[in-house]
Amino acid sequence: MTLEATRNSLASDFLEGRAKKRNSIAITAPEGVTLFFNLADVGERATAFAIDFFIWTVATFVFYLIMVFVVFGAFKLSGQIGLTVALSVMLFLGFAIRNFYFIHFELAWQGSTPGKRAVGIRVVDRKGGPLTPMAIVARNLTREVEIFIPLGVLSSLGRSNSTAENLALAAWMLLFSALPLFNRLHMRGGDLIAGTVVVALPRKLLLADLVGAETQNIFLEKHLRAYGTFELQILEELLRRPGAPDAVQLRREVTDKIVKKIDWPSKVADADTLRFLTDFYAAQRAHLEREQLYGKFRADKNAAVTTAR
Amino acid sequence: MTALEKTDLTAGARPLALKSNQFRKAREETWRELEALVARAEKRGVLSLGPEELERLPMLYRATLSSLSVARGIALDRNLLNYLEALSVRAYLVVYGPRVRQLNGVWRFLTTDLPRAVRQARWHLLIAALTLLGGVIGGFLLAQSNEDWIGALIPGDLAGDRGPDSTADELRREEIYAPWPGLVASFALMANFLFSHNTLVGLLIFGLGVAAGIPGLLLLFYQGLGVGAFIALHYNRCLLVDFLGWLAVHGVTELTAITLFGAAGLVLAEKVLFPSRMTRIESLASQGKLAAQIAIGAMIMLFVAGILEGGFRQLIQATEWRFAIGGFTGLVWLSYYTLAGRRR
Repeated sequence: MTLEATRNSLASDFLEGRAKKRNSIAITAPEGVTLFFNLADVGERATAFAIDFFIWTVATFVFYLIMVFVVFGAFKLSGQIGLTVALSVMLFLGFAIRNFYFIHFELAWQGSTPGKRAVGIRVVDRKGGPLTPMAIVARNLTREVEIFIPLGVLSSLGRSNSTAENLALAAWMLLFSALPLFNRLHMRGGDLIAGTVVVALPRKLLLADLVGAETQNIFLEKHLRAYGTFELQILEELLRRPGAPDAVQLRREVTDKIVKKIDWPSKVADADTLRFLTDFYAAQRAHLEREQLYGKFRADKNAAVTTAR
Repeated sequence: MTALEKTDLTAGARPLALKSNQFRKAREETWRELEALVARAEKRGVLSLGPEELERLPMLYRATLSSLSVARGIALDRNLLNYLEALSVRAYLVVYGPRVRQLNGVWRFLTTDLPRAVRQARWHLLIAALTLLGGVIGGFLLAQSNEDWIGALIPGDLAGDRGPDSTADELRREEIYAPWPGLVASFALMANFLFSHNTLVGLLIFGLGVAAGIPGLLLLFYQGLGVGAFIALHYNRCLLVDFLGWLAVHGVTELTAITLFGAAGLVLAEKVLFPSRMTRIESLASQGKLAAQIAIGAMIMLFVAGILEGGFRQLIQATEWRFAIGGFTGLVWLSYYTLAGRRR
């Protein structure tokens, strides 16, 4: 990983937890900047699929009802024949709808379907190239083999008499369906073939800058040597949550720690902690940024200053 | 606390100039504008943007990317960095998303991409055809000597009433020269059922290519066995020529389609087994789209076969004409796949 990526990640690991952190994939944009895409996790993809599946079921059922009316009404077919005709047309329509549903939406909505959009995930090319129509077709053709045929086999498990045979078939097919659980990029078989990956669309708000126009407290060089980037970003997180229930108490504790650590000459009253911390944050950031301009980066309070080569 | 008690360090009200702060002030407007455009494009599609906005979009995107590069270098504001990372990713997806007119894409696929893909996979096609042929011969030999094999080789719902107990007369009356059941029933019943059954089998043959191709080839062989067994059933009742004519109407198209599915699966299998210098996953992705093109072509052919079977087969009762149709479709497919889409 590049230096740029690690700078931000120490605090992110700490705040969001390393275990919960998503896998990401680095894609270099044609402009030469590397972008980090968070991968959609298996739960998100299952939810998106469930939504799409629901829409498909409803659409197929509606078509079936229409077919029944058309067959019985317009063509005057009756009884067994009419039902069979309607059923076989529905089988065909269901097949056509579920294949064209995914392909159409992923083409028209740039790698997204109604389910994916609701969850906020999207298909992209693994190498960073444009998502080609053929890639979309390829990843959706195999859906039939990976999901719908195993579903069919599973649903026929109870009814069939050769259960052992079907069970083996189902187990073998489920291995296929469970592929996303076994690789780091959570790829289905279709993603493997098409060279695609499903990513989560990040949504981040730009909050107001914590550094205001002016400052009340003035920190000198000697006060600012104690901390590094990690502590700065943790402090930022605390200051960005002024409404948290324990914020007042937390601010008090943090203020006391900082005052002790940097040897601040005066006491800070309860009412002034926010002001003090904000000023300290601004001064510390100004200091670290200035140092960084001279090529001296400091990851956290324990780290030695590294000089960029 | 009064001002007197403070040291001069807290005397306050000093202006503060931060590089990152100025950087943000100078560029924030660009980011906000891009964010609004991207949000709209995500919600209602890129085409909902006006011409001026479409012109602004790549400019704003590039400006934001450059902001991101600078911010990664100088900014320590975590919220700002995360925001820029997220905005750049979203804008990238909007700017570089697929933008193909679906009808143009379909036309190009049919006239150029598909025949080219099939020609590129000719060796795979040959292997798949030989496997299928092996199945047909095997099924024929097995079922010709012992008709009990027919029940084992052909799934019950496909066999219909046909089996070792059928007499030549029954077969002639109910299968080969069965009367045309009327437009709606014939199309709806047979074409649909056979189309979706065949497509499922075909897709299975294709998808199993990922598993190194062996299961797909076995399935292909098994399909051949069924066809061979049927041929044997009719051969034993001196109906061979009539049956082959009956089969040729749709069979030429249908069996070619199944073979194409097999070839597509083999393209995948080859890339899994022999990845050359790439990793297996990269190798698979490099040819997966080619395989998918072939599979789509095969699906279209199955659709045509379904129509031929449901609509035309029983409409035409003369064996000579049936052979003529079979031969004609074969010729059409052959010239399409060998001649279409060549560069002049």
